[in-house]
Amino acid sequence: MAARVLVQGTPAYRNYKLIGWGLFFIFLILIAFAYADTGQITLYDNKYSLSIPRINKALSFSVAILGLQVVVGYTGQLALGQSFFFGTGAYLAAWLVADHNWPWLQTLIVIIPVCFVLGFLLGIPALRIKGLYLALVTLGLAAVFPSVVQLEQLEEYTAGAAGKTTSSDLDAPSWLPLDGMAAALQEIPLVGVYFGDGDLSSRAANRIWVFLLFIIMIALLVWLISNLIRSRPGRAIRAIRDNETSAAVSGVNLSLYKTIAFGISTAIGGIGGMMYVAELGIASPGDFTQLLSILFIVGLVTGGVGTNSGAVLGGLIIAFVPEWSSSTEELPIVPERWLQGPTGTFIMGVLLIALMFFLPGGIVAGVRRLKARFVRLQPAPPKGFEHHVAPTPPEGSAASTVEADAEADAPAT
Amino acid sequence: MDLFLNRLFDALSNGSTYALVALALVMIYKATTLINFAQGEMAMFGAFIVLVLATERGVPMWLAVVLGMILSAVLAAGIERTLIRPFDPADHLPLVIITLGMFLAIGSMAGIVWRFDPRSFPELFPSGVALTIGSATLSWYTVGVVSTVVVTAALLTLLLNRTKIGLAFRAVSSNLESSQLSGIRVGPTLQFGWAIAAAVGTLGACVFVADPIRQLDPFVMVRVLIFAASAAALGGLDSLWGAIIGGILIGAVQSLLVPYTPIPNELSLAAAVFVLMVVLLFRPSGLFGTPPVERV
Repeated sequence: MAARVLVQGTPAYRNYKLIGWGLFFIFLILIAFAYADTGQITLYDNKYSLSIPRINKALSFSVAILGLQVVVGYTGQLALGQSFFFGTGAYLAAWLVADHNWPWLQTLIVIIPVCFVLGFLLGIPALRIKGLYLALVTLGLAAVFPSVVQLEQLEEYTAGAAGKTTSSDLDAPSWLPLDGMAAALQEIPLVGVYFGDGDLSSRAANRIWVFLLFIIMIALLVWLISNLIRSRPGRAIRAIRDNETSAAVSGVNLSLYKTIAFGISTAIGGIGGMMYVAELGIASPGDFTQLLSILFIVGLVTGGVGTNSGAVLGGLIIAFVPEWSSSTEELPIVPERWLQGPTGTFIMGVLLIALMFFLPGGIVAGVRRLKARFVRLQPAPPKGFEHHVAPTPPEGSAASTVEADAEADAPAT
Repeated sequence: MDLFLNRLFDALSNGSTYALVALALVMIYKATTLINFAQGEMAMFGAFIVLVLATERGVPMWLAVVLGMILSAVLAAGIERTLIRPFDPADHLPLVIITLGMFLAIGSMAGIVWRFDPRSFPELFPSGVALTIGSATLSWYTVGVVSTVVVTAALLTLLLNRTKIGLAFRAVSSNLESSQLSGIRVGPTLQFGWAIAAAVGTLGACVFVADPIRQLDPFVMVRVLIFAASAAALGGLDSLWGAIIGGILIGAVQSLLVPYTPIPNELSLAAAVFVLMVVLLFRPSGLFGTPPVERV
């Protein structure tokens, strides 16, 4: 079957993107209302939970991985310390909300600059040098974090080993008609039963609100990052990733751009930490270990290095794979004793290695390859060449003429 | 003074174990300019093999250690052949990600097989005190650890400088392409580096947990790896004796610097990382490393 070619800038391309994102958001909203209370899937007598709080936690991981994407995916520098900054964001948010009664979102005005400056300063020595020093130093930072927050001197602020708890929630604002939306969804024939019955409890409403808020935050971050990547500094950091020496020869200030990229990534990591603690209500030292940092890398690679959608997907994977594998208590063939160990971590490790061999671009690359059989997206031809360069795919010239016509009809830009 | 001596001895014994693991890291770095983040887990796995051989099969302790070292060398050679060699050695990112995958997989495999309860490790060195100065005591363990490191480093130096495969290894680590052109079989040479590194790492893990105050569990090497990696980077990542000096320095930071300054004890790891950062700031290739030369 010939693939349909869509050229960037044509109405067909816009419609395709609009319909794609529209369907995606409708799907998200349906998920939010359907799983607000508890969701469970049963397979072989094992119960796998799929509820909004778990998804929210996964989304906070997604944000941390989005940050990692900037430094690993786009700048090509391996950083293994995202849990340090994730934890810093989480503890700052918990401290400001619990001890100073700040609203959750307001904490970001402190978290973003603090994490940026921390990342910038800590990155300076490591990023001046080529190679793996950044990985080494940041892994050290990640290992240090739990013992730092458990220090006696900081116990007043971090509550030591027990973890810092906050009692306030992210409350749904009253202007948002969540109740009405739930009622409307319940009215739909046949599928309405999946959305529960009666009014939303205030807890469920809050959960849905947090979920929607997180989705909006991720959408914003994705938009900001993709703009950054297409800007002049973005081109500079991609040049560093592709070839450090030639980037330097072309006049890119290596250490400056690397440290800035690292700072941006750590600031986004801090935002993720704030989301994590807003969802869980507790920041405890055991959550922010170097294992989490390495899991972020797993998420990054399984989702897709250098893609924003891969980062979001990666967050879901690293949140759900360990959970589900620890709730797998029996499986045919596999001895029960094996299932009681840290199977989730094992699966992640094997997954990481297997992906490097068979699908180095991660799941997103796999999906794209599959999609390319049906729809092919082409960048817009440069200005002035709109009518000279007809999109000619290797096979299926019939489809391309249709598109060329559509392009000719499009208003000149 | 006695307190100082005690702390000095602590620094020596801690530093020597870090130096052993750092030696393993340096061997792999020399071979593939790669930091093997799974080195600690591989060493921990090797130590478990030694423990099983010694306690469940009744093999004499030192023989068990030698067998464990050989076995982990074979395993590492297999890992190099299947997981590392298919990738381009010049591109670090995929290789490091592979080692991170190994870190997760090997660590959790040990957890699945041997569980997480700590096990006491049979003693490698005679217990008791070798030397008493005032109230400071030098235990046989410390003497044993320090001499193990010195002997290992000496043997490695001999191996690299006096044997044919050592010569090939040095050629490959100094210039991969030229050595390939002059007929050295690069693959097996690098595999040899991995095998030696795994054996040294296993020895390091055994020596580390043989301290009567420590026990063996699947997490035991996670922290040690950070100390050892700092030590290796401090020494310059491609220098064997640099790794040993780096190890002793990191041990000194942990056991001498931290107790004499108001830094809380829990932050010894942080202090080690901080020292590493400061050294990198002023000497980017470590204390004894070869500065990289970039040809355009």
